Amino acid sequence: MQLGNGIRAVALASAGIFVVAACGGTTTTPSLNLAPAAQQILRANDGTEPNSYDPTQQTYTYEAAVGRNTFEALLKSKPDLSDVQGAAAKSYDVSSDGLTYTFHLQTSAKWSDGKPVTASDWVYGYQHFLNPALAAGYVDPFFDGTIAGAQNYGSVDVKSASAIDSFISGLGLSAPDANTFVIKLQHPAAYFKWVVTLWVAVPLRKDVVESAAGGTFASTDTTKPEAWANNANTIIGNGPFKISEIVSKDHVTLVPNTNYWGGAPKLQQLVYYFIADGNTAYSKYQTGALDIIGVPVADVTVVRGDATLSKQAHLFPTLTTFWMDFNTKKAPFDNADVRMAFAKSIDRQKLTVDVLHDTDKAYQSFIPQGMAGADTSDNAQSFDPAAAKALLTKANVTAATLNQFKLLTRNSTGSKTINQFIVDQWNTNLGLNIQLDVIDSKTVTSRIRLGNFDIYGPDGWGADYPDQQDWFDIFFSSSCHGLNFGCPTLSGYDALVQKADTELSQTQRNADYLTAQKMLIDQAAVGFIYQQYEYDLVAPYVNYTHTAFDDQNVPGDNYYNTAYITTH
Amino acid sequence: MAVIAGRPNRGALLPARLSALTDSRAGSLAIFIIKRILWMIPIVFFVILITFLLMHLAQGSPWDKSGGRQLSADVVNNLNIKYGLDKPEYQQFFIYLGNIVHFDFGLSYQYEGKTVTGLIAEGIPYTATLGVLAFIIIVPVGVGLGVLAALRQNTRVDYITMGFATAAASFPNFVIGALMVVVFSVLMAKWTQHAFFLPAADFALDDHLIMPVITLSLLPIAYTARLTRASTLDTIRQDFIRTAWAKGLSERLVVVKHVLKNSLIPVVTTLGPTFAFLVTGSLIVETVFNIPGIGRAFVTAVESRDYPMILGTTILFSIIIAIANLVVDVMYVFIDPRVRLT
Repeated sequence: MQLGNGIRAVALASAGIFVVAACGGTTTTPSLNLAPAAQQILRANDGTEPNSYDPTQQTYTYEAAVGRNTFEALLKSKPDLSDVQGAAAKSYDVSSDGLTYTFHLQTSAKWSDGKPVTASDWVYGYQHFLNPALAAGYVDPFFDGTIAGAQNYGSVDVKSASAIDSFISGLGLSAPDANTFVIKLQHPAAYFKWVVTLWVAVPLRKDVVESAAGGTFASTDTTKPEAWANNANTIIGNGPFKISEIVSKDHVTLVPNTNYWGGAPKLQQLVYYFIADGNTAYSKYQTGALDIIGVPVADVTVVRGDATLSKQAHLFPTLTTFWMDFNTKKAPFDNADVRMAFAKSIDRQKLTVDVLHDTDKAYQSFIPQGMAGADTSDNAQSFDPAAAKALLTKANVTAATLNQFKLLTRNSTGSKTINQFIVDQWNTNLGLNIQLDVIDSKTVTSRIRLGNFDIYGPDGWGADYPDQQDWFDIFFSSSCHGLNFGCPTLSGYDALVQKADTELSQTQRNADYLTAQKMLIDQAAVGFIYQQYEYDLVAPYVNYTHTAFDDQNVPGDNYYNTAYITTH
Repeated sequence: MAVIAGRPNRGALLPARLSALTDSRAGSLAIFIIKRILWMIPIVFFVILITFLLMHLAQGSPWDKSGGRQLSADVVNNLNIKYGLDKPEYQQFFIYLGNIVHFDFGLSYQYEGKTVTGLIAEGIPYTATLGVLAFIIIVPVGVGLGVLAALRQNTRVDYITMGFATAAASFPNFVIGALMVVVFSVLMAKWTQHAFFLPAADFALDDHLIMPVITLSLLPIAYTARLTRASTLDTIRQDFIRTAWAKGLSERLVVVKHVLKNSLIPVVTTLGPTFAFLVTGSLIVETVFNIPGIGRAFVTAVESRDYPMILGTTILFSIIIAIANLVVDVMYVFIDPRVRLT
């Protein structure tokens, strides 16, 4: 996931396992100290209401938090993020050519209305997701780049039902029997086991979708197929929770799916509030009206100094790094020495300690700590103002030339604060006078996508899943202005990353990605600045294991169903 | 028919029965209202045109994301087809006009499968409840404080009242709202061990309403009080008030019957727009107290370039403002006998 700004609201990822210990409940004590059922209510802030309750249409983390709880994908990550493990599928096999994935479904899996989940529901769910007329955001590049037949996704005429039908029936999806779901790929992809962990790749019930739509519909129809997702009664899922109530733009209440194959959760209610303002959520937490929140940056110092609150605060690393983009289509940013001079003149330590209140950590590499590929041995971008100045002299670039450039900044408190600091660093350490260009977020996105900027940041990425393929494709030359906003020219990078993506040996993959990462750092493709951490407040009576890499101050991870409330 | 000097002969060209209608006060009022309602059609048309142009001039498409994976070109292309954005803009404009004639305001881009009408209908009850409650407080409190300050001009009462009004008008909404939350929710909960405190946020028909309604009404109260004071001071210096006093009328009678009725005219002018402002929602109050009203819905729509939602709410707001102004004009007839509607 591409991150546009440095505010905590887009915090996405966290690695490793952190058991939030409840009062009295340690791992050695067999007693769970479980509160009575009436108190098993967990209230979290989700920030914004999902645009859709159909997981296949969800693209943001605040949407996936609900999607992951109500629907279950085939596989999920292991707690240490080292590999996948079974979820809705007990196990899976890969053919020796790496092209056929066979998933063996949980035989006792049931929908929230009690009907068994069959392999044909999986085929239907994937087909619904891959219908080009419905334009689901997460199809590309994960699914149209892997599943056989899906490579034509972009060229299907979405106004022709027959064109869509033939595309869908040509996809490499099949259900040889009720408990076996087979997916055929276009090419070997070692990371495909991670793709099927995404919240968008779930089964759907044809009968429910069609009855909510008022009957069968043409595949060109874009509204009827989504009718079911607008009514709590017709959102029938296969996840551990089901939706009991939706109060539009206010909150959604989840209750246990008593038919869940893995046993119903202990929580009797999981309530997600949609509070956009971090300060409002913070006030609610302090009055006991919320159980889990992210601490607004401005309040970090207050929380640390408060005897009670500091005990409830937890710092979690996230699989997210941030960097600065230089528009390499504009001279002199086509010169790696100039970019490196900028990268080497940012005191990251001072940024994270002084500006970010020592929550986020200074980082001068790409792949974040906590997942395979994290490597901090390359110090090419380390803070060194003298070396930075020497690089500028070597590149023979004058201050007057550089002073005409501006740092494009999103109009959010987080982005403005960080960029003000960074621009000060450049101006002080390199003797420049660069200005900020602060404009509204949508306009910034539109300008970076058109390449209409000089320097932009903080730009960043949070893992969709902890496989390096998800990271390195950002800097493909074909992704210029797509996700790769600065468009640096890195000779040999594309071929190397493509090889690593399709390579079946994990050792070889890691070695190739490491070389690619060195290219990014040494040629200052971007200037890396920090890895994001989540600073959360968790009420002392909440017991849950924080493991997922893509939840957002909420227990919306793959292990939420084990959370519970202790006596208090 | 005798023509009164200086007054147009309105009935001259109309058939006898209609002219009888227009000559009567109630009749002319009815015609006036109908005329003004018909005028709303071109007004709304231009509101749509201007909003449509500005909306499409603003950079950034509804599908650009400020965070998260950007959508691929294929997906964007299919989304444009899904929502009719693949057509030329002038065509989109006329298609939209054609649809709203049938009261079809389209589908929101932000919320999959939800209609603009549905989203607005979800938000209005919250916003209207807060707005109407605030309005009910504003009129008596604002007018009362203003009259009191004027009648006790240059006394301690005047200074305190106007001091309050100046303070209330100077502090931004979000500061007052946030401050109240800190004092009455957070600190109060701490001090009383969670025994008594006001809820920090959310909407419910109970003590949840106290802080949002107060925050919403402070500025209009201050404004109304200042205006009422000025206009009351103006009125009490008029000859007819001196006459009323000279006649030996009681203070109550002078104030209520003579001063108040005359000094309220400028106040009524501002109450229309104030009411419109209140029921179209306050972004700040709705954000601070996390209330899912239409003020917030409008701003999120603008931020995410949700074109149908922007147009729908703008049309609604323009109609509410037009109606509020119409009501004010009609009220003039009853308050100020000099006013004739033509």
